[in-house]
Amino acid sequence: MEAINNIELKVLPKTILYITLFSVLLPLGVLLIWSFAGSWPWPNLLPKTFSYRVLAELFGGYSGALQVLFSSVLISMVVAFASILISIPAARAIAFYDFLGKDFLQFITLLPVIVPVTAFAMGTQILFIRLNLSDTVIGVVIVHIILCLPYTMKILTEVTEATGNKMERQARVLGATPYQTFRYVTLPLLMPGIIAAGSMAYIISFSQYFLTFLVGGGNIITFSMFMFPYIQSGDRTIASGYSILFIATSLLVFILFETLMKRYYHVEEVYFFN
Amino acid sequence: MHHSRLKPYWMILPVVVFMGIFIYSILNTLIQSLGILPAAGLNEWTLSYYQAVLFRGDLFPSLQLSLYFSVVSSLLAVILGVLISALAVRTGFTRKKLFQIFKVPIIVPHLVAALLILNLFSQSGIISRVFYQLNWVQSPQQFPSVLFDPYALGIMLAYLWKEVPFVILMVVTIMEKIDGSIGEAAVNLGASKFKTFYRITLPLCLPTIYTSFLLVFAYSFGAFEIPFLLGMTSPKALPVLAYVEFTHPDLAHRPYAMALNGIMVVLSIMLTYVYYRIFKGDQKAKAGGGYQ
Repeated sequence: MEAINNIELKVLPKTILYITLFSVLLPLGVLLIWSFAGSWPWPNLLPKTFSYRVLAELFGGYSGALQVLFSSVLISMVVAFASILISIPAARAIAFYDFLGKDFLQFITLLPVIVPVTAFAMGTQILFIRLNLSDTVIGVVIVHIILCLPYTMKILTEVTEATGNKMERQARVLGATPYQTFRYVTLPLLMPGIIAAGSMAYIISFSQYFLTFLVGGGNIITFSMFMFPYIQSGDRTIASGYSILFIATSLLVFILFETLMKRYYHVEEVYFFN
Repeated sequence: MHHSRLKPYWMILPVVVFMGIFIYSILNTLIQSLGILPAAGLNEWTLSYYQAVLFRGDLFPSLQLSLYFSVVSSLLAVILGVLISALAVRTGFTRKKLFQIFKVPIIVPHLVAALLILNLFSQSGIISRVFYQLNWVQSPQQFPSVLFDPYALGIMLAYLWKEVPFVILMVVTIMEKIDGSIGEAAVNLGASKFKTFYRITLPLCLPTIYTSFLLVFAYSFGAFEIPFLLGMTSPKALPVLAYVEFTHPDLAHRPYAMALNGIMVVLSIMLTYVYYRIFKGDQKAKAGGGYQ
């Protein structure tokens, strides 16, 4: 009796875990099949014919998908880079200094993930028209950075607090210049946090639809916006193909990001593919 | 001396500038929701737009709908996420390569999540085809329409697919740490595994669990894509309705959009405040208990 109970206790958790993994993967598998489906009538479980319509659309057609993908990746990389650049000093200030309004700043930097994106997007309109930022890439980059700051600030503040500044002081005592200290001590210590924060910022920016649409006014087309009408109109093959391309591109960017950083900084701990 | 006292302010300056733009935009939304929009000739403060949202028959159902699907899907996501995290930690599953699969939904955008649900659950989707093979339905029309339905099942399924792994990834790290150190001590002292988890590990994970609920709820309450792609035409979710009102050709309609936004802003900030109170209380308890 006890033996049976023990087996059940071991089998049940594993079954639940594998069912969960299956539910994560099944829709993605279906997505992959759809992207190469030619004709797939109900109630067939697999497509009747396969087609390379997506590839033709991508490389042969006039869709401009690849240009959009390229500029979209570029925008998101700029957003990720800028978010990290402005978060590093602010995170240091929070970790090592006492200043007026520190708690308030931490509360405020949390708000962009809490406050609905529609309220933010619609509120920017008058300001951005006045500043000549609406319908521009710079405007889109600015609002994307705002959405990323809660994550980059939180991750980098935690990493900065955890590493402390003893090593930097040591370096300064031993005669390193502020630049050398930053380049050879601070930056490598922060690198795991930078990779995590950068990946997060990249994906937030790359996935953004509504904010880009409203601030970019249909002038600035990112890949998310490009995909949207296909998903909405129900061209399953093209929509699925572009979705696969979206996911693959993100994965590729992360791998690139991590290998580059690892090569230069010998980081062991990484965020996405450890 | 003077220089170093100003230093932290210089360091936070760029972040402050960006947050300034954010706050200014939100204030703009709130001011317009109170009837001040000079461009449309509206110059008098009024609460009438909020009254309309709360009491008008065509606007109030949207608030109900949004609250309903975001509360239910977030609660489910957190319960399932915590449960699966606990199982993964207990069985050592977190150390397996397969566990990394839970990271995949993070990089899948919400609009693709909507497509995944369409592919699976539409009347001609895969599930319906499997039902046919099992002889449960004879035509696509017989398959229950779980998309664009009054119970918002499609919307909630899409959110669950995205948010359960998100909760798992947030909770599992902290749970593993606690379970490894304190949990072991408790088991050594004779507590049962279940008791240890329920009495020690879970309470210590609560701050992270609250945080994940807050993030997931706030997102699903305020996001546009999924309810736009998977919701019914009427009632619409709040963000979708706000967008429709926003694009109304008559500019004088705009305060309705802003009042819808205003309600979302007030609710989400209230929730964040409650969260801070709970979180602060919890930190005190933690400090008192001597765990860190």
